[in-house]
Amino acid sequence: MSLAEKIKVLIVDDQVTSRLLLGDALQQLGFKQITVAGDGEQGAKIMAAQPHHLVISDFNMPKMDGLGLLAAVRNNPATKKAAFIMLTAQGDRALVTKAAALGANNVLAKPFTIEKMKAAIEAVFGALK
Amino acid sequence: MITEAATRRVHVIQGEWKVVNDPDVVLSTILGSCVAACMRDPVAGVGGMNHFLLPGSADAISSGGDATRYGVHLMELLINGLLKKGARRERLEAKIFGGAKTIARFSNVGEQNALFARQFLMDEGIQVVGESTGGDHGRKLEYWPLSGRARQYALTGVEAQKAVAQEQRPRPVPKPVDNAIEFF
Repeated sequence: MSLAEKIKVLIVDDQVTSRLLLGDALQQLGFKQITVAGDGEQGAKIMAAQPHHLVISDFNMPKMDGLGLLAAVRNNPATKKAAFIMLTAQGDRALVTKAAALGANNVLAKPFTIEKMKAAIEAVFGALK
Repeated sequence: MITEAATRRVHVIQGEWKVVNDPDVVLSTILGSCVAACMRDPVAGVGGMNHFLLPGSADAISSGGDATRYGVHLMELLINGLLKKGARRERLEAKIFGGAKTIARFSNVGEQNALFARQFLMDEGIQVVGESTGGDHGRKLEYWPLSGRARQYALTGVEAQKAVAQEQRPRPVPKPVDNAIEFF
């Protein structure tokens, strides 16, 4: 079983299309255990009930945004060590600083290539294959 | 009756998006094979427009190619901009324009662009309340974001050539950005 197959990933994005694209990209990278959530609140609930190893979350979302989700994940002892990659459609320096302060492992600007996503994940977990 | 004299015109060029909540603004653009999605929240009184051209053909959303990602990105920027100004996703309504087959060598790019917009809006559950796509002529489009009123003129002759020329002008290649954010 490859490393990618072992990693449980949670995708959090309010856009259906973005979730589909990211899910496809992850499948191409060999991930098999993928869960999706439509906003930060739903993401936090899923993480609390069923911790995932990696969260890839959009920043700009209704109810709870990506920073709120990141804080929730880091404040829960069961999930605080999960890897967290934040995605943002608006490249914003202040957001990167805030995400870093809250303990994000990486911030990726949309639209990203599959290679960039792979590099961001590998920076946390090591080579996927 | 709309007092045209009082309106302020904001032009949206390819690769751009604009969101306004000013009742005196009319958004305008010129489309050949490009597509513009116009969206508004009638309750919040905010609306906007984007304008994109996805190069290549047959680039379905499911293919996940770079062009698709770029189109999704421009849609997302417009939606995020609307939400920031108080719109609610479930109240958004959209109109789609453009995607003409302006000259033979653009093949079916226009059609693919319109298809992309339609598919995206359907997947996102955003209601399409109006559409004028395809055809052989470019369009000059005006959209009043608060009322949702749209007006278009078919471009023929010189105007059409201008529209096509505008689209053919070298633009930043719609590729995913790698350098917008520094990694840490």
